[in-house]
Amino acid sequence: MGNKVVTFTEQQLEDYQDCTFFTRKEILRVFKRFREVNPDLVPKRMTENQAHTIAVPVEEIEKLPELKENPFKRRICQVFSHDGSGNLTFEDFLDMMSVFSEAAPRDIKAWYAFRIYDLDDDMYIGREDLLEATRLLTKGELHPQERDEIVASVLDEADVDGDGRLSFMDFEHVVVRAPDFLSTFHIRV
Amino acid sequence: MENEEDDRPASARRTLTLRNSAARQVAINFMPSRQLSYNTLRLRRTNSEHNALLEDVCDAPGGQDEDKRADLIVRELEQHQRLMEDNPESEELRREALRDLPQGLTMKRHVRAKLSASVSLRSKRRPLSMTKRLKYRFGFAVKRFRERFRDFTFSIELWYEAIRKIEGHFGSAVGSYFYFLRWLFAMDLVLAVCVLSFVLAPQVLHEQGANSTSVPWAFIDLISGQGSFEDSLLFYGHYHDGDISSPGPLTYNLPFAYFFTMVCLYLACFAVLCYRDISSPGPLTYNMPFAYFFTMVCLYLACFAVLCYRTAYSYRRNFIETAGGVNHAFANKLFCGWDFGIVTQQAAALNATSIYNEFKELLSEQNKMQESASLCTRIGQKLANVVVTTLVIGAIVALEYGLWQLLSAEVKVANWEVIISVIITAGVALCPLMFNLIVKLEFYNPRTAVYVTLARTWLLDVGTLMLLLFYWARSEASCWETSFGQEVYRLVILDAIVSLFILPVIEGLRALFYHKFNPTGKAPEFNIAYNSLTLIYNQAALWFGVLFSPLLVVCVTLKFLCLFYVKRECALRACQPARKVWRAAQTQTVFYMLVTLSLFTTLFGIGSLFFWSSSQECGPFRSYAFVYEVVSEGVLRLSERPTTRRVLAFIVRPGAVAFLLLALCVCVYYVRARSRAQRSMVRLLRQMLLLQAKDKEFLLHAIAKVSNGEWLYSPRTPTEGPDSHTWKYLNEVRKPSNAGFHFDASRLAGTRPHSLAFDTWPAEQVHDDGDTDSSFSWQGSSNYLNQKGEESAQKRWL
Repeated sequence: MGNKVVTFTEQQLEDYQDCTFFTRKEILRVFKRFREVNPDLVPKRMTENQAHTIAVPVEEIEKLPELKENPFKRRICQVFSHDGSGNLTFEDFLDMMSVFSEAAPRDIKAWYAFRIYDLDDDMYIGREDLLEATRLLTKGELHPQERDEIVASVLDEADVDGDGRLSFMDFEHVVVRAPDFLSTFHIRV
Repeated sequence: MENEEDDRPASARRTLTLRNSAARQVAINFMPSRQLSYNTLRLRRTNSEHNALLEDVCDAPGGQDEDKRADLIVRELEQHQRLMEDNPESEELRREALRDLPQGLTMKRHVRAKLSASVSLRSKRRPLSMTKRLKYRFGFAVKRFRERFRDFTFSIELWYEAIRKIEGHFGSAVGSYFYFLRWLFAMDLVLAVCVLSFVLAPQVLHEQGANSTSVPWAFIDLISGQGSFEDSLLFYGHYHDGDISSPGPLTYNLPFAYFFTMVCLYLACFAVLCYRDISSPGPLTYNMPFAYFFTMVCLYLACFAVLCYRTAYSYRRNFIETAGGVNHAFANKLFCGWDFGIVTQQAAALNATSIYNEFKELLSEQNKMQESASLCTRIGQKLANVVVTTLVIGAIVALEYGLWQLLSAEVKVANWEVIISVIITAGVALCPLMFNLIVKLEFYNPRTAVYVTLARTWLLDVGTLMLLLFYWARSEASCWETSFGQEVYRLVILDAIVSLFILPVIEGLRALFYHKFNPTGKAPEFNIAYNSLTLIYNQAALWFGVLFSPLLVVCVTLKFLCLFYVKRECALRACQPARKVWRAAQTQTVFYMLVTLSLFTTLFGIGSLFFWSSSQECGPFRSYAFVYEVVSEGVLRLSERPTTRRVLAFIVRPGAVAFLLLALCVCVYYVRARSRAQRSMVRLLRQMLLLQAKDKEFLLHAIAKVSNGEWLYSPRTPTEGPDSHTWKYLNEVRKPSNAGFHFDASRLAGTRPHSLAFDTWPAEQVHDDGDTDSSFSWQGSSNYLNQKGEESAQKRWL
């Protein structure tokens, strides 16, 4: 292959390989995608520091085809961003792709899905979160009363401990048993 | 709780909730279940949750810098002895634990550096023993090889971009069809390589000397497989029955024998053959019947094993692991409805509409549930299902009977065989559409309807192939194997014409019609079920035919190759994303199951044919009366070894076989009984889990109160008014309803009914309890909590 420009040091690659679910080539492919977002900002060679200091603004990340149509794109960026702002460094981006990759196990995926659906970031998926998620998913076409009914049914099904909101345990209980979770919570690099 | 604290300023409330949640996490971390020793799997799971919770502890203060957080995590990890040893296993464990940390990558790298520093600090530098060093070196080598292999498979991944594009357009359901196609293609490619190198190449080498008479061939021969094609490499009858020996010096044959020997190492079944080849005196020989027999048998068995494994894996992943007693229809739709792989705007809009529609349906269904159907209608529906199923099976049997009559009819028409094949192909192509209509008359839910249609179509396909096999095996043709090979060859070629030319044209016309004349009507969609069934049919035909027409595997592989591109163009140009979301994961498993089942049927059919007499005029087995004699006479030489013969004869006696069957039955019964017992155990455990969750919630609630200082005899409680914590405690925690449910729960879980035992538990005792091996983080976090507690308490008193 034409790897004339060495993007990462050997140490970095090894680190990334150990910390994500990717192989070397996949990591390089992820980097290519990341660089496509803003070739001026991201250099061809990443030094040790640049990988976690150069952050691409959230507005540009959202233009990636993988995220462009996703109703939760802003929230996804925030969850994976190192400072919660939504701006992603390369390491944040790699982390995101690793979680969405096929090799990531169910419970890791479930944890991040929980964070994404927890729109107000209070460690519980509350009523408001569910209403907002329903609105986003259907592009606001459902009647508010219908949304109320749906949220009530969801809570009825999933809320095991009966506190009117979903904790991570409740959420995991649902999602781990959903046959389609793995195939839908999946972005191909 | 928030309701009662509304009078406090918002910031104080925020700190309080944060503090509460931090206290909860610490409490959870110190539950006995978190302190057990682990096996790998458990470590994985606990680690992820553990650290997920840990993250909250770290997050709560906000201003902590990364270094300290990394330290905290490293300390947590250090408590697991098995993680910290200096050998490959625990290094692998460390990697797993790192990967499962729900933390940013930057943090993970910090942790990794600290962790390896800590490990090398701890490791005692004592000389390793020879065996240990070897073991470690081997472990590292295996790991490196695995990584290389993953890298390699990644770089040869076929059609990556193409499938990704299709998935982006149509969602993961249509994508899964292409994955299925790719998987079948890869398997056939391996099959083709094996057949070419073990069967075809020796035959070609054998023929090199003989001058072949070329017969002019007609186009129809290409389809019918007759005429000049009949006595060619394509079919069984052509293959040589003896040894292929080198006429000249040994060097000519050696590379071949060498290659053969190497592959023998992998396919254990070939060992016998090798032994014979090497031990036979004189020039090296290649025994054609052996090669044919063993290659085929090994390939069939290897494919069967691969398929079984694959199906079982898929089944476990999509059916068993997801089998919940509870049905989360709404929650599933909400949390798993969006396909994250979608990239085009149109597909996203359609996905949103489909989620909207499904929510609507679910709501109306929920409202309908109240007026559930009466017993009479339900019995009527079941009866209708049974009647229609009987009719369909009757129709399939009638079709097969008609086919048999057609085959045995004495008709003197040119190319009669081709006409029959055309009829069969037409039937196989049209019947699924018919079944699709018929199933609408029945009362199934949509997913079951798809499965029922699949099962019926599969029955028709495999039934037809089975019938053809037995028809030709019973016929008086001089070389029935070749005839059957030709039959299957014709079917594959004709099906290629249908699926590579006719169907795309129809789909194109449909799309044209939709765009030009009827843009408001139903958009043409990619029919996943129908297309996948075509693949399964082709694969079944290949299973049946490859023994009698070795080159068929090449045909089918090429066909799958073309099919991929044709279908891709069809999907991208002539189809619209589906309005209804197709549930891909489980149906995919069903497809694999059907392929496995067809292979099983084939093994059954062909296995019984091995005990049928083989043709005496043609084929590699013509010197044996029965095919199985290749093993019994050729390899084991039973006629020369009376002892072996007697042992074998004893084993295959009816008594012995009956005993074996009986033993098998007992085993099955035992396993079944165990699985039933486990199922009921699972149900019980699930109930207990629910109760435990409620239990835990309650206890955590209480603990949160303790760590807030909101307790019964708190020294800071000045009065006993409705504002005080004692009052709140009495009214909230000890509500009659709560106490009642708690009592029930604890009785079921087998604990003491004295559920509020820690009522009188002094706070200091908790400190003593935590002072074990995990003292650090308890002390640390509790100190930190106390600190925070004082802070916010000060805020509150200000």
